Amino acid sequence: MTGTIATRLLTAALVVIGSSMLVFVIMYVLPGDPVLQMLDGNATSPEAIEQVRKQLGLDQPFYVQFLQYFLHLLQGDFGISRIDSSPVLAKILEHVPATLALTLVSATVSILVGTILGVLSAIHRNGFIDMLARFVGLFGISMPTFWTGILLLLLFSIQLGLLPIAGSTGWKSLVLPGITLGLVGAGLIVRMVRNTMLEVISEPYIVTLRAKGLAEQAVMYRHALRNALIPALTVIGVMIGELLSGTVVVETVFARQGIGRILADAIMAKDLPVVQGVVFFTAIIYVLVNFLVDISYSFVDPRIRRSQ
Amino acid sequence: MEKKQTKKWLQSTAITLAAALLLAGCGTDQGQGTSSAQAVSAGSASELTYALATSPDSLDAGASGFAVSHRVFRNIFDSLVSQQKDGTFQPWLATGWKKSEDGKTYTFTLRQDVTFQDGTKFNAEAVKANFDHIYSGGRGQSIALLGPFQSAEVVDEYTIKIILSKPFEPLLSGLSSGFLGISSPKAIQEFGDQYGKHPVGTGPFKFVKWSENDEIVLEKNPDYKWGPPTAENKGPSHLDKLIFKIIPEEATRIGSVQSGQGLAAETVPPQLISALQNDEKLKVDQSITNGTAFSLYFNTKNEPWNDVKARKAVHLAIDVDTIVNTLYLGTYQRAWSPLTPGMLGYDVTLENKLAPDVAKANQYLDELGWKKGADGIREKDGKKLIIRYLEPSPNREKRNDIAAIVQQQLKQIGVQVNLTITKDTNTPISKGEYDIFGNSQVKADPDILTNLLRSDRMFTKGGTNWAQLSDPNIDKLLEQGSSESDPEKRKAIYTKIQQYMIENAIALPIYVFPYTVAHSKSVEGLKFDLLGYPQFYDVQIRN
Repeated sequence: MTGTIATRLLTAALVVIGSSMLVFVIMYVLPGDPVLQMLDGNATSPEAIEQVRKQLGLDQPFYVQFLQYFLHLLQGDFGISRIDSSPVLAKILEHVPATLALTLVSATVSILVGTILGVLSAIHRNGFIDMLARFVGLFGISMPTFWTGILLLLLFSIQLGLLPIAGSTGWKSLVLPGITLGLVGAGLIVRMVRNTMLEVISEPYIVTLRAKGLAEQAVMYRHALRNALIPALTVIGVMIGELLSGTVVVETVFARQGIGRILADAIMAKDLPVVQGVVFFTAIIYVLVNFLVDISYSFVDPRIRRSQ
Repeated sequence: MEKKQTKKWLQSTAITLAAALLLAGCGTDQGQGTSSAQAVSAGSASELTYALATSPDSLDAGASGFAVSHRVFRNIFDSLVSQQKDGTFQPWLATGWKKSEDGKTYTFTLRQDVTFQDGTKFNAEAVKANFDHIYSGGRGQSIALLGPFQSAEVVDEYTIKIILSKPFEPLLSGLSSGFLGISSPKAIQEFGDQYGKHPVGTGPFKFVKWSENDEIVLEKNPDYKWGPPTAENKGPSHLDKLIFKIIPEEATRIGSVQSGQGLAAETVPPQLISALQNDEKLKVDQSITNGTAFSLYFNTKNEPWNDVKARKAVHLAIDVDTIVNTLYLGTYQRAWSPLTPGMLGYDVTLENKLAPDVAKANQYLDELGWKKGADGIREKDGKKLIIRYLEPSPNREKRNDIAAIVQQQLKQIGVQVNLTITKDTNTPISKGEYDIFGNSQVKADPDILTNLLRSDRMFTKGGTNWAQLSDPNIDKLLEQGSSESDPEKRKAIYTKIQQYMIENAIALPIYVFPYTVAHSKSVEGLKFDLLGYPQFYDVQIRN
């Protein structure tokens, strides 16, 4: 087990470094000059522009820039935003809680709705509930979050006045964005759980269990669902990544704080230190989630535990 | 077996449904919670939530160039003078002023009963510190508003002299703007380059907090009693709190007012204006902004658009009326001059002068030797006739849609429009890689044209001469316009410049931007200043 964890941590570090590097390269080759953009026409001469370039170290070759950036990062120095000259780390720390809360709520919505509907759908194959569950699944996957978000706002905030329309304070402000984003993941999980449940149900050991007279609910929940969950877990890991990227849109529609929104702004303005900082954080979260998913396999499936 | 199974599942489904109902029950509870919260906020009648479409970049008056920043920090900062709707000036933080014979020195006497929100005394030293701050790290509009500013001198504790290197008539107008609002020198010192996140002024509202991308909270300054002469209120604000919520998504922003969760929201999209006007709980206010109308500026440096005939052909082929009517459904006014109608020297004779004429446009291009090729695009010496049209993103006020319509309209005369929509317009502008650039600006004095047209105001030198114009005659006129103190003579000068801009197809005016606010009818006393920005000092909330 410790060996596995060590390998995992090493891969995690590689993923974080790799994604940082990738973003650095992409931002580097994208058209547009960050210095000209920063100066907003306030440069008095080409010399002044060069001066700023020097100050920011942008006159250095690519690899020097990257190394310097990375060394600073290791010392906990994320740099200064080029848009509003505030420290990047403070900016991220201000926005991270809102995004994490949103991701957590949407993941819970996805997993709960997805698993429940998936199981019901498999059990009532081709019945009304199955149709309903499949509809929800399809809706979740195919509707743009932007659209779902506005529909929910129209109904629950504007028409019924039940929930706050915008902002990031209080748990109520999390309900609609959480559902909006959660439906995407729910769509994926419904399909996954339904399909694997259907496969598992027709396995010989289920037939054996039934023949032995085990209660139907015990067959379904203790045996069938447990086996059906393993592939679903993998989907959940991937889904968290999707949720993180989905926050960009949802945070804008619901006017929430969040790293998704500052990331989008920073990319547009070529604010490299902020982009890097956010990617670094996101990569860590992503790696962490996948690590947890891997560990949880062994709880669901004893065979994996034993093999370790 | 089958039957039993169904029963079991029915049971569990029933349990699930019951759970769902319970959850829904929580939902209703929650709803009551919200509506009682609404009742409270309406009952206390002293908190105004105002939804902004974009976020300020900085609340340091001397360092921001954004209209949205001004809307927020105007409440925190007062100005030395106040500009009236008729263009004249009245005292504010300055009780009076004297202009020297040569027009190069202004002496202001200051109020003696004013303190900053941090308790510091307002005096001549404080005013001087502000000008020094602007000059040391000034970005945005403040430096431009000060024109040929040379130095500020403290004469005595409540008298300050502003010395210019040459006469500059727009000075008072600049000093009346929030961009030259007076900050506490102590706060500037204390917060250094983070001052923009901790502004302190003498205004009716104190800064409380700024949660980025979420909200900016201001609260009443209880000691305030030196409001501008335009206001009815003579004491502290009627509002205890003023909260600016940043809600970029249009439907959400307007929805916040429709649902009663916010009391006012800015920038109502044209298609929603009439719907909101019919809502009996709401009111829509429109205020024409002053400055330059949204206009398309031609880069006069690049071939073949350095030829006035080529530019004119494009002007004749663009049907501005169709654009404005299609996109804004009669809620925006069409512009005829690069200056807005409320501006000193606005040339009324330009109205209805320019009419689209595709035949003539074609004729001009034929005369220049551009012949239509097989694909309908004109060619000359093997080169296609292309306009590089540069537009900032996001699609503010449907400006990207204007570009798309222009693209279609110019196709008719065989001009290919290559559209670049980007957030980073600075790079292509610095490099001159554009032929058309659309822009509008806010300022209450026609001297705004200096920054747009004078030969030393190219973009790379801190100006906004998108047209890359360098015409000694225009330079001279702009110079006269800024130093002339007789209003009638000033008007004549700016009339000449506007006519030159249209006749030489330097700029094609498209629309005059109306600043729109949808607010609950309980919000009373919302006014707009000369720039078209909202003023909250007189606002009261009634049930």
